[in-house]
Amino acid sequence: MIPQWTLLLATAAVEEAEKGKLFDFDATLPLMAIQFVILVAILNKLFYTPLGKVLDDRDEYIRGGLGNAKARLAEAEELTKKYEAELATTRREAQAVIATAKAEAQQIAAGQLAETQQAAQAQREQAQQEIDKQKQAAFAALEPQVEALSHQILTKLLGAELVK
Amino acid sequence: MHMLDGLNIINSLPLAALDVGHHLYWRLGNLQLHGQVFLTSWFVIGLLLIASIAATRNVQRIPRGIQNLMEYALEFIRDLTKNQIGEKEYRPWVPFIGTLFLFIFVSNWSGALLPWKLIHLPSGELAAPTNDINTTVALALLTSLAYFYAGFRKRGLGYLAKYVQPTPILLPINILEDFTKPLSLSFRLFGNILADELVVGVLVLLVPFIIPMPVMLLGLFTSAIQALVFATLAAVYIGEAIEGHGEHEEEH
Repeated sequence: MIPQWTLLLATAAVEEAEKGKLFDFDATLPLMAIQFVILVAILNKLFYTPLGKVLDDRDEYIRGGLGNAKARLAEAEELTKKYEAELATTRREAQAVIATAKAEAQQIAAGQLAETQQAAQAQREQAQQEIDKQKQAAFAALEPQVEALSHQILTKLLGAELVK
Repeated sequence: MHMLDGLNIINSLPLAALDVGHHLYWRLGNLQLHGQVFLTSWFVIGLLLIASIAATRNVQRIPRGIQNLMEYALEFIRDLTKNQIGEKEYRPWVPFIGTLFLFIFVSNWSGALLPWKLIHLPSGELAAPTNDINTTVALALLTSLAYFYAGFRKRGLGYLAKYVQPTPILLPINILEDFTKPLSLSFRLFGNILADELVVGVLVLLVPFIIPMPVMLLGLFTSAIQALVFATLAAVYIGEAIEGHGEHEEEH
């Protein structure tokens, strides 16, 4: 039954076409064309123009933003370079300052050391001199006693009669 | 006689029936119209208008929802037109090419997706507007007018020089081309859509379950491709008319 249907169906379709109904041209054609042209006009107003404007504006915006961002990036890079240069000079200056300060400090330290050593030397010399003076004074004080003591020793050893 | 019996059996089947060549006739004065074509085309036009209004009602820089969808469609159309007509001349043609594409695409898909058959008409049945030869011929003739207009506007009477290029011997063929272009455009679209609906109809008639699904999906694919082909070819013809064969070849 079913295969018979398909066959009949095909022949039916052909038969319908032969009646001219499938290629049935009438006033639908021009009216459809007019309708389509009107649709184009309306969609142009409602759809293409406003949304196209949105797309163009966004393109413009993105391009502008991109340009702006690029300019800013360049600016930032320039600033970075400037700051880096400044940083380098500052670092160099700082190192120079440190070097001079170190040298100064060393100089001062050396000077002070020398001074202190001199002072210490002087004090030592002074002390030595004092010691020498006292020694001499002591020797001078002891000199007369030496006489008496040696006389006494003599007296003790030889007896009083002989010493006379 | 036997054939007619078969036809009656088919028509009496409840699930699906094929109805080719029957129309719902309207009369306008002494003009005859295919009512079902206009009904579905108004539906399609209404859909396009609603989508356009919804998309542009509240446009934003960062698109959302329907605006995003329609912007995608517009960008697609613009790319298509730009590729065929060229960066310099494409802008005025975007509405025409775009409406061709959108109208055919929505028509085809409405025919493939919507169960029009549930709405009973006194005669004929609702289907895609592109299912009717009048619609496709109308669109094809408009395309012809469009490319003639484009050619004459761009190059004046010099446009006629393309008929004797590269040699005058080709004059008849070049003239013939102007007839074959709308003919092939309209019949390609009409044939594909009608054939698709017939195939689905026949399959549904035979096996009204699961089996027609792949063919229906294929139908959706074909419908979209046909819309794209029609719009692309229309753009190609317009682009050709604007560029001109001679200049085009010299450029290369």
